[in-house]
Amino acid sequence: MIGQTQKPLEEILEYLQGKEKVVVMGCGGCATVFHTGGKPEVEEMAEKLSENGKEVLAAIAPPFGTFTCYAPWSLEQMKPHRKEIEECDAILMLTCGDGLQVVREFVLEGEFGIRKPIYPGTNPIGHMGGGPTLFKEKCMQCGECEMGRLVGICPLTQCPKGFLNGPCGGTTKDGKCEVDPERECAWVMIYERLKEFGELDKLDEVRKPKDWSKMQRPRKIEVSPLVLE
Amino acid sequence: MKTKSNLERVLKAGHFAVTAELGPPRGADPEAVRKKAKILKGYADAFNVTDGQTAIVRMASWAACLVAKEEGLDPIVQMTCRDRNRIALQMDVLGVAALGINNILCLSGDHMSFGDHPGAKGVYDIDSVQLVKMVKDMRDEKKFQCGEEMEVEPRLFIGAAANPFAQPYDYRPYRLAKKVAAGADFVQTQIVFNLDRFKEYMKRVCDMGLHEKVYILAGVSPIRSYGAAKYMATKVPGLDVPEEILERMRKTPKGERAEEGKKICVEIIQQVREIPGVRGVHIMAIEWEEAVPEIVERAGLLPRP
Repeated sequence: MIGQTQKPLEEILEYLQGKEKVVVMGCGGCATVFHTGGKPEVEEMAEKLSENGKEVLAAIAPPFGTFTCYAPWSLEQMKPHRKEIEECDAILMLTCGDGLQVVREFVLEGEFGIRKPIYPGTNPIGHMGGGPTLFKEKCMQCGECEMGRLVGICPLTQCPKGFLNGPCGGTTKDGKCEVDPERECAWVMIYERLKEFGELDKLDEVRKPKDWSKMQRPRKIEVSPLVLE
Repeated sequence: MKTKSNLERVLKAGHFAVTAELGPPRGADPEAVRKKAKILKGYADAFNVTDGQTAIVRMASWAACLVAKEEGLDPIVQMTCRDRNRIALQMDVLGVAALGINNILCLSGDHMSFGDHPGAKGVYDIDSVQLVKMVKDMRDEKKFQCGEEMEVEPRLFIGAAANPFAQPYDYRPYRLAKKVAAGADFVQTQIVFNLDRFKEYMKRVCDMGLHEKVYILAGVSPIRSYGAAKYMATKVPGLDVPEEILERMRKTPKGERAEEGKKICVEIIQQVREIPGVRGVHIMAIEWEEAVPEIVERAGLLPRP
């Protein structure tokens, strides 16, 4: 999921300066889980904007499970509000940056042929998993998963230096990371697990520099369309 | 001889080597480097010039190396992966070799969060093991990391760091083995205060035969004050300062603590010298280069060969 926090209202109002009529849109996926763009947050934002003199033409809160970053679904959610979208001065997205840009590129400009100012209401802070309360960043989507040799722990993400050849010299006495002594050193964890599984020899090989071209942005992929039973 | 390095010459001849650290200034004054170089000259075989240590902006290592070289030192350029990707690293490797620098210490580098620009984006495109391998392939295979060939190779004596005092302790000799397999000619260790742990580490290193494949220099450092001792014991990750050393510094009257720090350093040098596999010492007198000549002399390591 995409971890996210809400932007301060002052920052949002700054973007919306001079824009009277606003459409607010959230997301039934990550933004609902992180309480930044679910139904309650979309309604609350609409209220706050009204209190600050804005006219909210529509407050779109997709139901849980309906991701705004998935273009067919956001299109479906926005179609009934096409009139308000055409009429508004700006759209405020309580979604991650994917949701915002998918709506702008595929729905507004692609399907509707509408060019409108569109602004973010959240700060995405990374792809993470966990829950229901604590979420942690575990994967950086490097394009070539290294965990086959690393017993299910990714040092590219879990080690602040992203090492592939073992721990740096800063591991603390109790096996924590020098950058964040609250956290276990990723390489101590990898070492312990390899030892447990009798696979320490996997550490002997000098791993070559990683091919970061697989992370050259912006990346894209084509798949066959999703068919739900 | 793989290079024109004085350090290589001293080690190959079988002498107990001495290297010392020279910290570049936090400004553009070359005199600050010259002053330190004049203090250190003749008291070590080669001189490590740090590369933005603790992630604080200072004069570039290669530039300070050049000033030190003009003063007659054989500098060791320290190069970290923190600030450069593989392209920049290889360009700098070629550059320092072209400028007549004979030694390089390949490091990962202290993380940005410790320094004066915590908002900086870290590079860490490759790690220190990969850097050792890359320099080795450039020198011995005349090959860039991408596999393409060069005409004139960088003749550098390749160094790496090792820390026997960081977890997981069991793995540290294997980590060293990896740096040796990657192509390290010499290794400088983290500062040795805990002699018991260091002896244990060196025993395993020798059992693995690594001492015959790489020159191992034990890191040492004079402690200047009780405050510095406490700081090293509690604030510096990967350093192990035993209670007895802290206690010794604490019990020494205030005005005599710097002297006691040098005394401890000399004692540690004498003890690591007796440990099988140790081929020299690396003295890190951080912002206290003036202490080095006296320590080297009192440790009986003069004159330098």
